[in-house]
Amino acid sequence: MSFDWDDDFNAPIAGPSFVDRARNAPEDDDFPIADDFGGGRAGILAQDVAEDTPFQQLIRHWLNERHAPDILPGQELLLGRLLDHIRKQSNDVELLRADPDSSEEEHFRIMLVQTEIERVKFVIRSYIRTRLHKIEKYARHIATTPEIHERLSKAELDHAKRYAKTVEYHFTQSVLQSLPPEQRKLDEDVAFMPPMIPAPDKLRPVFAHALVDCPPMRLPDGSATEMQKGQISLTPYHVVEHLLLRGEVALV
Amino acid sequence: MALPPSLRTSVTPPELELVASEQLVEIIPLVSMERTAFISGAYGPLRPPTKCKMPLWMASNLKLKKKCHIVPPTWLNVEFLQDRLTQETTLPSFSEMPFRFAEIAKILLDVAPDDLQNPEKLRTLLKDIREARQAKSREGLSKLDPNELILQNLCAMEINEIRPFFVRGMAVLTQLTREPPPVEPMDET
Repeated sequence: MSFDWDDDFNAPIAGPSFVDRARNAPEDDDFPIADDFGGGRAGILAQDVAEDTPFQQLIRHWLNERHAPDILPGQELLLGRLLDHIRKQSNDVELLRADPDSSEEEHFRIMLVQTEIERVKFVIRSYIRTRLHKIEKYARHIATTPEIHERLSKAELDHAKRYAKTVEYHFTQSVLQSLPPEQRKLDEDVAFMPPMIPAPDKLRPVFAHALVDCPPMRLPDGSATEMQKGQISLTPYHVVEHLLLRGEVALV
Repeated sequence: MALPPSLRTSVTPPELELVASEQLVEIIPLVSMERTAFISGAYGPLRPPTKCKMPLWMASNLKLKKKCHIVPPTWLNVEFLQDRLTQETTLPSFSEMPFRFAEIAKILLDVAPDDLQNPEKLRTLLKDIREARQAKSREGLSKLDPNELILQNLCAMEINEIRPFFVRGMAVLTQLTREPPPVEPMDET
């Protein structure tokens, strides 16, 4: 969805208002500022835009991350965009607050803008913390599996490696070094025992909601099935994993 | 700083409410406000009594300060819900409801009961619908198999409610059926 409201930037300025001051702020492509007095058109546009704004996308990625057993590709670009946006809105709020002769209406708008900033911040925080939880839980698996590395940001990957190393160091220092050498390993594969390196359980069932008509997928018993748009299925994660990565289903 | 343990297995109802609050509702403003740029788009201008669309969280914020009336969505009225309840109790399948109806109905009943006609009746109807649907999801548990369970027309809150039990149940079934495959080809040959 593109924000095609650039024309409105040149509209005559009615008086000091939040919008006007936001307008004088440095350029920012993804920041739709429009002062539309046409009425009707605004409502229709706003509805269309609200369908898939960066924030809506983040909410989807956040819910996916919360429900998926495995760690999903990080959304660094999207996060960067939203963080820039938050910074910009906060700056505008600061500017307006410093202004002593702002009206009551102005205060009210500042309050709404701040409320929204807090809502977006909450989702961003929860998204990052969900990833952090998975990174720490599967740190040693991540450190030893190069395929996962590209799904993490540089900071996340560094943290995973450092965390894995610290945990191993701690185990060695506190217990393992006093055990006989043959019992010191942290990556043994013993039959009928859970693996020593915990890995995401891709067999865990998830609720998948098809956003579009999906191509056929293979169920654990070998049969094939297709999800129609809007269909909700409870199925093991590995069945829908590729659809999820392509954004054709969302976890709910 | 990782996610607290209580939130690790599933999202919570308040979080679902936050997600649902991003949906747009129509309001009749009682104050005027210039068009304002938000992160999720620009909303306004508010010109009483011209109707305007905005996210539900903003509308309930305005409503709590008595600065607007919220126009209830087309499905939140006695006739519609009565009709759905009849479907729910006579047909075996789930009837079609907006995906986040439970959250939205709760917010509106909490914040703007005076904008709804007959809120008490609405409350009772929503509760009856919820119970009828709950009974159906419990029945659906018997259809659980390790491959796939299609849940047509189930809503966000209902999914969240059945999640722990269904996920656990299906995981156990998967474990039970995981062993056979290596044996089967031998039986067939």
